[in-house]
Amino acid sequence: MTDRQHVLTSSNVGNVPINATRRKAGRVSAFADGWRRWWPYYVMMAPGILFFLVFHYLPIWETRIAFEQVRIVPPNVWVGLKHFQVLFSSSVFWQVLANTLIISTMKMVFFLPVPIVVALLLNEVRGGSLRKFIQSAIYLPHFLSWVVIAGVFIAALSPADGAVNNLLGMAGIAPRSFMTDTGAIRWVLVFTEIWRSAGWDSLLYLAAIIAIDQQLYDAAEVDGANRWQKIWHVTLPGIIPTIATLFILNAGMFLNADLNQVINLSNDVVRSKIDIVDTYVYRIGLQTGEYSLATAAGLFKAVLGTMMIVVAHFISKRLTGKGVW
Amino acid sequence: MALSRKTPIERIEYAIIVSTLLLLVVVTVQPIVNLLAVSLSAPGKVPGMSGLAILPDGLSFEVWSVLLQHPNVQRGIINSIFITGVSTLIGVVGTALMAWGLSRPNLPGRKALFILVLVTIVFEPGIIPDYFVNKRLGLLDSYWSVILFKAVNAWYLIILIRFFEEIPKELLEAAELDGANPFQVFWHLVLPLAKPALATISLFYLVFHWNEFFRAMIYLNDQGKWPLQVVLRQFVIDGDKIAIVGADSANNNTGAGQLNLRALKAGMILLTIAPILAIYPLILKFFTKGTMSGALKG
Repeated sequence: MTDRQHVLTSSNVGNVPINATRRKAGRVSAFADGWRRWWPYYVMMAPGILFFLVFHYLPIWETRIAFEQVRIVPPNVWVGLKHFQVLFSSSVFWQVLANTLIISTMKMVFFLPVPIVVALLLNEVRGGSLRKFIQSAIYLPHFLSWVVIAGVFIAALSPADGAVNNLLGMAGIAPRSFMTDTGAIRWVLVFTEIWRSAGWDSLLYLAAIIAIDQQLYDAAEVDGANRWQKIWHVTLPGIIPTIATLFILNAGMFLNADLNQVINLSNDVVRSKIDIVDTYVYRIGLQTGEYSLATAAGLFKAVLGTMMIVVAHFISKRLTGKGVW
Repeated sequence: MALSRKTPIERIEYAIIVSTLLLLVVVTVQPIVNLLAVSLSAPGKVPGMSGLAILPDGLSFEVWSVLLQHPNVQRGIINSIFITGVSTLIGVVGTALMAWGLSRPNLPGRKALFILVLVTIVFEPGIIPDYFVNKRLGLLDSYWSVILFKAVNAWYLIILIRFFEEIPKELLEAAELDGANPFQVFWHLVLPLAKPALATISLFYLVFHWNEFFRAMIYLNDQGKWPLQVVLRQFVIDGDKIAIVGADSANNNTGAGQLNLRALKAGMILLTIAPILAIYPLILKFFTKGTMSGALKG
């Protein structure tokens, strides 16, 4: 890019005065000129821009009800931070915030390494069609909704006739009702997350592995490196930037413990263990009708979440050159 | 790879690697195959069936015929196809038109528009404000509340912008010199060149809208408007047999009421993922490319 600009300017040296006059003349009615040239683009972009304004910016404006008392007969009354005070003095809120952080931490620790290992193993598979077959199978769950996945796992974890308990039964272990077990349900979230996305996420690492210079492997081979030494000394260092980026980005999304997942895998018995900020907002807002309190909780999460994503973005950009956008 | 003599240890290593991955394949696919086996088994055999089974015990299509004749399911299928089709069409057209403008480096206000879009990625005010906007616009209980949810997806927009930016400048300039206006350039040059990218984001939208259930669940009170995902939720998660077979046959254990709830649930889950499975080869082809070249997360 810079090279090309450089070439253009140097070849245009003789024309500079002409360009300058043309530019000066244009500046008088720069706006009108710009509009004359660019209005068709704005016409084409109008539906999209309108969509963003209505469905993304109007909701931002609507967050003001976090600071209002909602009345059946409008207008609402401004009450300042009252709802936030109620929120912060509510033990339930702190419980759901803690749940969110615990679940996110568990996912981060136990989920993140899995796709890396899968990618490393996949990269070792030599037969092209064998590799394709494995990939086709393990990517599939990523394209299923959480309603479907919940249905699959409610069946697979069923105490009487689920695959997991049938297997445990063969090993002589008594069946366990994982879905209604307060000690197990968070692990169900972690495992279903792995089942759904570890395969697909491995693709991101695989892309990074494929981009590694083949000469590095050849050199390692000449040095007599075996398979594991090559993985350890060539492959892993080669994908560290990708690992770092994804780790940081995940950290940025820390408060999103996945509403869709929790809402479908939750039930009355285990709710207290996996009630997260999003499900709390949904429950007290749309089910109980405490709109202001729910909006306040949502806004708290949104502001904190935004700060985390922005910080994550800049850290990632600084360290690896890749950001969220 | 380079020619290498394989020692016995290397062979064993390789066998371990491949079997680990194949185990992963089994863990991924078996639960789904089991559901298929359960849904196709003879009704009498279902209660004792193991979760490990991968073949039906006996063969019966009764579950499927009950499901496909069920009015809620039929309406769910129609609703899902309608919602997914319309929202995908709106999404692709809106995204392509907006991406075209934003891909022009000299567009006045380009930076401001980018910020407008990026803000929506990092700041999500949550479901209650979204609910009130839909309420104010009179969209509650209307298909449009679901159709317009993420109608133009910021991530897909960015992917398409990146793709449009890679169209050689010379081509666009040549077309403009020939007197083509931006509409014509877009229609005759950009769109044909962008076919693979458009196919990719069409699939993104298709999968996204087909799988969306939360908005439909909270905005659509009228059961007649429910997409398949919400119908599925009603009887898989909430486990409501009456909703599936009707009160009469459930209480009297007649007709469909004799069918095993487990088999009905299994069939319903498979019915909901059938379209995804049908287009899965396309998904594999375009998603993998789109994800590897485009944004980090699909």
